[in-house]
Amino acid sequence: MGNLYHNKTAQWLVYAAFFIGLALIPSFVDDAFLLNQLATYGVYGMLALSISLCWGFGGILNLGQGIAFGLGAYGMAMTMQMQSQSESNPIPPFMLNNSLDALPWFWEPFSNTAAGLFLAIAVPTLFCAIFGGIMFRARVSGPFFAIMTLAMLSAFYTIILDRQPYTGGVNGITPPSALQIAGVEIDPYSSTAYLTVLGILVVATVVAKLITQSSFGLVTQAIRDDAERVRFLGYSVAGYETMIYTVSGMIAAFAGCCLVMLVQYVSPAQMDVSFSLSMVIWAAIGGRLSLLGSMCGAFLIMGAQSYLGDTFLATWLLILGGFFIIVVRFLPNGLASLLESALGLLASKPKTSAEPNGDAKPVPAE
Amino acid sequence: MPGLLEIHNLSKSFDATKVINDFSMEVVEGTLCCLVGPNGAGKTTTMDLVTGRIKPTSGKVIFAGEDITAKHEHVIARAGIGRKFQVPAVLRDLTVRQNLEVAYSRQTNPFWNLFKFRKAGLKEKLDEIATLGGLSGRLNERAGILSHGETQWLEISMVLMQEPRLLLMDEPIAGMTEGEIEKTARIFKDLRKTATLIVVEHDMGFVREIADVVTVMHMGSLLATGTISEIEADARVRDVYLGEKEAA
Repeated sequence: MGNLYHNKTAQWLVYAAFFIGLALIPSFVDDAFLLNQLATYGVYGMLALSISLCWGFGGILNLGQGIAFGLGAYGMAMTMQMQSQSESNPIPPFMLNNSLDALPWFWEPFSNTAAGLFLAIAVPTLFCAIFGGIMFRARVSGPFFAIMTLAMLSAFYTIILDRQPYTGGVNGITPPSALQIAGVEIDPYSSTAYLTVLGILVVATVVAKLITQSSFGLVTQAIRDDAERVRFLGYSVAGYETMIYTVSGMIAAFAGCCLVMLVQYVSPAQMDVSFSLSMVIWAAIGGRLSLLGSMCGAFLIMGAQSYLGDTFLATWLLILGGFFIIVVRFLPNGLASLLESALGLLASKPKTSAEPNGDAKPVPAE
Repeated sequence: MPGLLEIHNLSKSFDATKVINDFSMEVVEGTLCCLVGPNGAGKTTTMDLVTGRIKPTSGKVIFAGEDITAKHEHVIARAGIGRKFQVPAVLRDLTVRQNLEVAYSRQTNPFWNLFKFRKAGLKEKLDEIATLGGLSGRLNERAGILSHGETQWLEISMVLMQEPRLLLMDEPIAGMTEGEIEKTARIFKDLRKTATLIVVEHDMGFVREIADVVTVMHMGSLLATGTISEIEADARVRDVYLGEKEAA
């Protein structure tokens, strides 16, 4: 008997149970504020998922996931802002306050909701494809790539902060009303918004999971192990790295859109270095080799931050830092690896427990 | 008859040091060529130059009539050259089965591989190669825990999974037992029916057993080439290589 942890069927069952559980939450929670907050956790889950895919499976440490996330968020905010503008009043108020007298050209397409939503995803995805393509072709990898993403993130942060007439600067953009799609308003405090975010999270997870199980995913894991060797097997390593980095960026862009839909606000804080670092910490604590583990890491840390953060105030960061050190020191593959070892112990005994379990280390069972 | 692989006047310098100096050789399809020479003669560097790991300073490498000089590693691999490294390079975090699966690289496009979950013909090929390499019982083990000899077999098996036209084997029998060496010799001789091999080896007994042609390198240049008996009779070869070995 193999370790149940590596059983693909068991993994899919656990994912299904997990998401069905999440989908049932709106039937128990009446508090609209809480539901909105839980929906934002879905956004963090998407981000942790994207990090797990890129770092855990692709071996590409990306400290600049805030780029794709932030570009997606700004795209959504621009779309929602333009929904509040009309023929007679085409220029958003913050631009008027900054004495712009015409709508900047790159805002024009966002007047159309479909085009705006498309761009909110397409621009960050295209950015990842181009930036990743250039970096990986030049064989920039490991810590050097991580530093490049960090530098790029800081550049975006500075530009957005600095170009106040076009981006709202440090104040960001606060669309006055909720997102409307085809005339239907998605109230951010409704279960519709919650289920929309959950739906996107489910699709992203299923796609990510299928990717890790495809031939592509296997080659990616081989590259994580020894990129040099994989080249001699005939695979273009740069092509694979660019692809996984781009898919990961696309998921982060969706997360950015979802966040703005939920909070009706975007600011350069979404592109702050510390936020991109937290995404990596979620995945590290939850277990970057497990998609579900990473997501749970995000839920755990952000949940604790919401509830314990108020109690402990500044001490919270110390607690988080200490927790991070402990996990990295004693559980380099995160909390998910606890489950893996536990089920490994069970599997080594004659009878295997029927209890289902976690997720996706690269090793398949029959 | 032109060779499957032709190396023309290849040179490689690292700064002022000439590692490969005007080296030429030709390997005829369906033969097994042993590349021998003392340490530092440039055998592994020649392999690196052929497979694109490093770029030559001057000279040309022609494979199956096509100029592959200084092409990218994966392009050369796709053209049909498989390589086993001197220090066995397997994917240590993956299972033996996954190692073989990755090596079965008929479809290398990242986009199409996103939609591929089962590779056609993989199972038969994998079973065949795993049996040949004696790895059938180890398929679900992590490659990192294999013994040195098994790791050698795994890497040889990976090269076979690639189904290359030309196999470059850099010291394939290091760390193998007598029995395993005999088996390797048998497999290599069989492979000549479908492929061409270049084997870098120090063990002259093994070379004598398998080689159709022996090429001797010395200080980055061609010293001699011919059948094993011609080589063993060559005074210069005895001087720089064989003699040296007997003295040791």
